[in-house]
Amino acid sequence: MSSEPNAYASHPPRMREATILDKVVANGGVMSIALFFVACCLFFAVTTDAFLTAPNLLNVIRQSAPLLIVAAAMTFVITTGGIDLSVGSVLALTATLSAAALQAGVPWPLAIVLMLLLGGIVGVIQGYFIAYERIPAFIVTLAGLSVIRGFALLITGGYSIPIEPTSPFVALGRAWVFGIPAPALIAIVILAVAYIAFNETHFGRYVTGVGANAEATRRAGVNTRRITLWVYVLSGMAAAAAGVILSARLGSGSSNAGQGFELDVIAAVVLGGTSLFGGRGSLVGTVLGALTVAVLANGLILSHLSPFFTPIVTGFIILVAIWLNFRLFRGGAKGR
Amino acid sequence: MTDTQVSRVRMTGISKRYGALQSLDNASLDLKPGEVLGLVGDNGAGKSTISKVLSGAVIPDAGTIEIDGREVAFTSPADARAARIEMVYQDLALCDTIDVAGNLFLGREPKRRIAGVPMLDKKLMHERARDMLSNLGIVIPDTRMKVENLSGGQRQSIAIGRAASFNPSVLIMDEPTAALAVAEVEAVLELIRTVSQRGVSVILITHRLQDLFLVCDRIQVMYEGRNVAERRIEDTNIEDVVNLIVGRKFAARSAGHNREKGVSS
Ligand SMILES: Nc1ncnc2c1ncn2[C@@H]1O[C@H](COP(=O)(O)OP(=O)(O)OP(=O)(O)O)[C@@H](O)[C@H]1O
Ligand SMILES: [Mg+2]
Repeated sequence: MSSEPNAYASHPPRMREATILDKVVANGGVMSIALFFVACCLFFAVTTDAFLTAPNLLNVIRQSAPLLIVAAAMTFVITTGGIDLSVGSVLALTATLSAAALQAGVPWPLAIVLMLLLGGIVGVIQGYFIAYERIPAFIVTLAGLSVIRGFALLITGGYSIPIEPTSPFVALGRAWVFGIPAPALIAIVILAVAYIAFNETHFGRYVTGVGANAEATRRAGVNTRRITLWVYVLSGMAAAAAGVILSARLGSGSSNAGQGFELDVIAAVVLGGTSLFGGRGSLVGTVLGALTVAVLANGLILSHLSPFFTPIVTGFIILVAIWLNFRLFRGGAKGR
Repeated sequence: MTDTQVSRVRMTGISKRYGALQSLDNASLDLKPGEVLGLVGDNGAGKSTISKVLSGAVIPDAGTIEIDGREVAFTSPADARAARIEMVYQDLALCDTIDVAGNLFLGREPKRRIAGVPMLDKKLMHERARDMLSNLGIVIPDTRMKVENLSGGQRQSIAIGRAASFNPSVLIMDEPTAALAVAEVEAVLELIRTVSQRGVSVILITHRLQDLFLVCDRIQVMYEGRNVAERRIEDTNIEDVVNLIVGRKFAARSAGHNREKGVSS
């Protein structure tokens, strides 16, 4: 008996101050994609002459703006444990409709507002079926993917609709502000707002809560259905914004735009460490994931490989990156 | 505790059906201010279901609920929270990927305004979370830890801390001590005593029958969704309660350890 108190008393505390290594391991998802992104950039910087030039890098950022914007919204959707497969179709529909609206003489600011509204309405409809009718998001948005693309094709008859190059509308996709392409600037603003909303607001907290344990969040008095509905409204509006920017940059609205765009977006989000099971999301990771996808596409073209290589390589990279993520960083953050 | 006192909670004729299963069948529950009610019954008797009805998490098919003499109709857990009814759920209802402070404040996070935009006041949340936990004697090394990294007992303590810390008028505890060590069980029983002295009504659901005799004023027994018996604590003993739970004379050895006390009273 007399020696027992020592067994309780004289030990160092079990918690030590978190070291830098602890923090790296705890943020494993973001760290591994950051390393991977840097590795990709270094690889293309060494193997191609053109990659590491200011015009090319600015071009990458300009082209990846739609991806960044929609991936930011998709991070919310996936963190609730959902998915939105319809974003590529919404992008095509709003790209064609904004071109059609401008052709019909609608003033360009009104056209933009109408497109965002349309994206929001698509989100409300899909979100209603997912949140209130409890139909799996995969099914609802798969149907949405088909229906909305169908509308885009029907409206245009499969042709692309040109936009008058003198319209101020095209500035959205082509202008330069303070030496930065306008689409990139829009994306940066949206990403900053999304980051704050995700990490610092009640809405972002409840998005994580719905993904982690929807019933617990509901029992805590949160209107979880409304939160779920809202994330689809966000992704619909983000896809609409992307459609507007894309048509402005290309100077035309094509109903074939954004084929497979939803897969790039989901790849970017998942590469960034957001869990498809919900409850775990990172917007910093999403930005890095989206830039990685964009740099891969750009670098492979600069390497004079067939552009048809891009999807093959991207697919492999996604698998390897996520596999590494699981293997290397599983220990620290999550034991189960 | 006279009969003239207005009940804090009066649930009457509560029924709830899940498909083919009648989970609650005309069940009722009465609770005075400051009273501690022990709710016991077999597995699947409907104890959790009736308490979820009171916490707004389950909407009953029939029945009325009165709080302090006024009839209410809870359509969501938010309504019950507004009526200051708090519950420790049997499954704890924690969000694994959210930190300790976030779980304690889930659904009522303090706000601060930056340029008019409401944001989470995380600093205040962590400060107050530390105070809440230390007031209840709960030892959690860091309120920034994610709940998934805590032990089973620590998780249970978080769930109890969350329900007890926001000035409830009714505190429902569904098996709050299932995962707790000896000292922690004592702390929970002590907590029940102190809050009930302050006038908080408590519903304690537990299979640790000896605990009931340490804190409860009254015991209500449920069987297959119905109320089958009610006893004032001074009028009963463990053996009696066991027989009421299973609905017949029961000679299991787990029930016999208090036989002397039972015979003498
Ligand atoms: N959401 C649900 N869906 C279907 N059946 C349910 C649901 N919730 C409860 N039940 C059923 O209702 C009955 C009562 O369940 P309840 O959880 O209230 O029992 P309990 O008394 O708390 O039991 P235990 O002591 O095991 O916790 C059980 O038979 C259960 O199967
Ligand atoms: Mg139960």
